[in-house]
Order: sequence, then C-alpha cells, then structure tokens
Amino acid sequence: MAVSASDLVQDIGGLITLPDVFLRINRLIEDANSSIADIAAAVSQDPSFTVRLLRVANSALYSFPSSIDTVSRAVSIIGTSQLRNLALSMSVAKSFAGLPNELVSMDNFWRHSLLCALVARHLAKEMRRCDPDALFTAGLLHDIGELVIFNRLPQQSAEVLQRVLDSQDELPVHEAEREVLGFDHSTVGGELARQWNLPTLLQECIAHHHDIGAAQKHPRETALIHLANIIALMAEVDTLDPADVPPIDPHAWEVTGLDEAVVEPAMRAAQAEVVEIEKLFTDQK
Amino acid sequence: MALSPLQKLPPLPLALPGFEHVKRTWHTAHECYAARILPGEYYVTKNDESVYTTLGSCISACIRDRVLGIGGMNHFMLPSTDLAEADAWKAASLSASTRYGNYAMEHLINEIMRNGGKRQNLEVKVFGGGRILANMTDVGQRNIAFVRDYLKTEGLQVVSEDVGEIFPRMVVYFPTTGRVRVKRLRSLHNNTIASQEKSYIESIREKPVSGDVELF
Repeated sequence: MAVSASDLVQDIGGLITLPDVFLRINRLIEDANSSIADIAAAVSQDPSFTVRLLRVANSALYSFPSSIDTVSRAVSIIGTSQLRNLALSMSVAKSFAGLPNELVSMDNFWRHSLLCALVARHLAKEMRRCDPDALFTAGLLHDIGELVIFNRLPQQSAEVLQRVLDSQDELPVHEAEREVLGFDHSTVGGELARQWNLPTLLQECIAHHHDIGAAQKHPRETALIHLANIIALMAEVDTLDPADVPPIDPHAWEVTGLDEAVVEPAMRAAQAEVVEIEKLFTDQK
Repeated sequence: MALSPLQKLPPLPLALPGFEHVKRTWHTAHECYAARILPGEYYVTKNDESVYTTLGSCISACIRDRVLGIGGMNHFMLPSTDLAEADAWKAASLSASTRYGNYAMEHLINEIMRNGGKRQNLEVKVFGGGRILANMTDVGQRNIAFVRDYLKTEGLQVVSEDVGEIFPRMVVYFPTTGRVRVKRLRSLHNNTIASQEKSYIESIREKPVSGDVELF
C-alpha cells in the first residue's frame, strides 16, 4: 500500500523529539513574565548545550569584541529570539542522530545543511527586513524530511538515488523522489515542522524550497532558502557554473530582490565558515 | 530543436558487435542516444551518440580515433592489495591487480583499432579516482597512478583529465567530437556509488581474468 508523507511523520513521531532544553527555552521566551535570568537558568540545566552555546556565541558567526563566558551574558547579547534559533538548530542535529540510515553519512548530510544555513544567513543580511538567524535555522533544517525518508523507506530511497545516477543530467533528487514515492522530502519535512509547531517561517521554507510559489506567508524567506540550497550545492562541489547544479527558479530572484552578483561572495563565505561551524553544530560529544 | 513527446525519436543506431547489451536511452538535452556503462563495462561506438557513467574511486578512460571519430569509454578499478601505498600496484605488477587495469585498457583500445582506429590518431582523456570515503585507503590514487603509468608505457598522451579530489563524478563522453562533460556529484551519492564499486570489486575477485589480451 502506498505510504504518504504524513504517514511517515506519524511513524517517527515517537522516535525523534525535540530535546527538553529547547522546549523549556521556547516556553520561557514565549512567557512575558520570564526574565533573562530564568532563561539562562533553563539553559544551564543542560551542560552540553551550555558549552556549545558559549562556543557558538564566541565563534565567527557572531564576532563579538570580547569573549562571552557566562550564560546570562550570552543570552543578553545574543538576544532571546536568536537564542531560540540557536537552541533549535543545535537540538535538531542531536535529535536526528537517533534516526540513522545507510544511504548518506550524517557528516555529509549536515555539511550540506550547514552550507545552506551559512549561505542563507549571508543572503539575509543582503536583504532588508530579513532575520539572518531565523534564515540560518531554516537553512539548517530545509532537508530534514530527507532523513525521515532515508530512515523509514530505505529501499525506495536507494532506488531514488540510483535513478538520479542513471539519469544523464543528474535528475534533481526531489523529482526522483516524486517519481518513486509520489511525494518528496520537502513535503515530509514540512509535515514534521508542522507537527513540531515550529514557526510558520520555518514550516514554509522547509515545505516549499523546491516549489516557492506555494509559500503563503513567507514567500521572500522561502525563495531565499531556494537560492541558498542551490548555492550550497555549488559550494559543496566548488563550482560557479550553473550547469553543474539544479536550476534556480527565476522567480526566486524577483521575490528576494537579489541578483546573481550575490552568488559568489555567499558561496565563498560559506566555504570558509563551514569548517568551524561544523564542529559547533554536529559534534555531539 | 528539442523533440516534443509526440514526435518520434530517431531509431536506435546499430551497436557494434558485442555491445548490444549496453542500455541506451534518448538524451533530450544532447539530442542523441546515450549508453550507460557500469563498473567493469566498456562501450565503443562509431555512431553519433554518447556514453556516460558515474565514478567514485574508479577510473574511466575516454579514448577515440580523432580522425575517424570512433571511440569509447571504459570503467574499472584495481582490486585492493595488502599494500596500501599508491605505488603498491607496481610491486605487485604481475599479480591479478594490474591485470584488471590492463584488461580494461586493452579491451577499449583493441576494440577501437578493430573498428578501423589508428594508434597514432588516438586521443585519450582520463577521469575519476576520487577519494569518496574518508575512512579508507586512497584507492583512487592507486587507480590514477596505474592508468598514468599504463598510458606512459604505451606511449599514449593524455589530452585532458579530471582526477582525484574528494568528489564522485558523472562523465558524459561524445566519441565523435571528443567532447566530455564532467560533473562533480554531491556527497549525497557517495555511499550509493561506493557500494556499486564494492560489488564490482567482489565480483572480479570471484572471477579472475583468464588468458592474455593481445595488444595491436
């Protein structure tokens, strides 16, 4: 019997959950009565999260002039909404470590996601009224549906990847998924984001980065993630030739107001940053 | 002009004897048929068609007679030896290891010559040998070292190559013109390609090459 995207997400509901530290932080940030001290206390309850948060706060991502050595200082400098983005970013890599697959190594999977996150952050700074940290998180999460598909449907996933390799022009993965499964990883990821009650910005970026016209509330951010995904692929294989990667939807340029001049600087910046950032987000030791 | 789905595709051109089994499909973007080869296979053609493959640590040599436009592609690797160094295949030059490389190269060259190609007109391009799995010995380098040494010994010059590094590749070769399209593939495909190469290596370990190949 055919499986649907929401069946898959139902299936894994019990297997991957967002860590308590994220849920606690999220609740406190939404509670108008909570203070920075309350939030810092919640962070401090998770020592490994605390260590990683301080490393990120002191990394090139933020380049603060002096070093940040306490959680409350990190929270007040980074800001609570960015803290929530960071907590989510760091939590997701951890929760998905429990969803292994044979098809792609977690290192390779997260490298693409981080490249996309870094490119998205860079592009968001070029655009007005766009939150670089929210877009970083959207970039990091844009392909999470793929991990769900790879884990739940390993045989069909192998067929999807084989189909891409057998095609002469490297058929885009999401198109091969639609051919084999009847849906693709963006639908699965969007469904998961909905089930997790993630902000609508993240839901839309994840669900529609291959079909940007479908975004209702956040078309600019969704188009930005569409661009960031393809620039991340260029960064990975180190090319500036558009023929080497799937095509960019021309509407993405219109909607974002960006132009092709942003590609190379964003790609080079992400290539330079990814080595350090990779350690911060995917080292779960 | 691209063909609409309603238009009829041109008939599949006749394959050279021995290559009838190779799967060929119409390639819309290039408007020609394209033959897909797998590890251990090769394909030679006189037709205006392309041949393509995906490579991890394997090598593809693309060779043609530049005057007649007859040519093709192989896809091979050397089975591993206990010696991990890039030069290990030399130490074991009489072993089965290099015989697979020689076999693949000689079959391709002989087939081109059997169909009228001239040795002095041969144009050679070499691709692959990537290091796609971080935690294993660099078999890609060993394959590159082998093919370079082989071509040097045979006195054949390489006019272009794209080898080594960490990427898998998709290679599309047009023997009539000598044009090659090499596309680096994202790491998402590493495991699929590596497992295909692994089953190829296991299959040749079970079926050793027998007999000698005579080079024209």
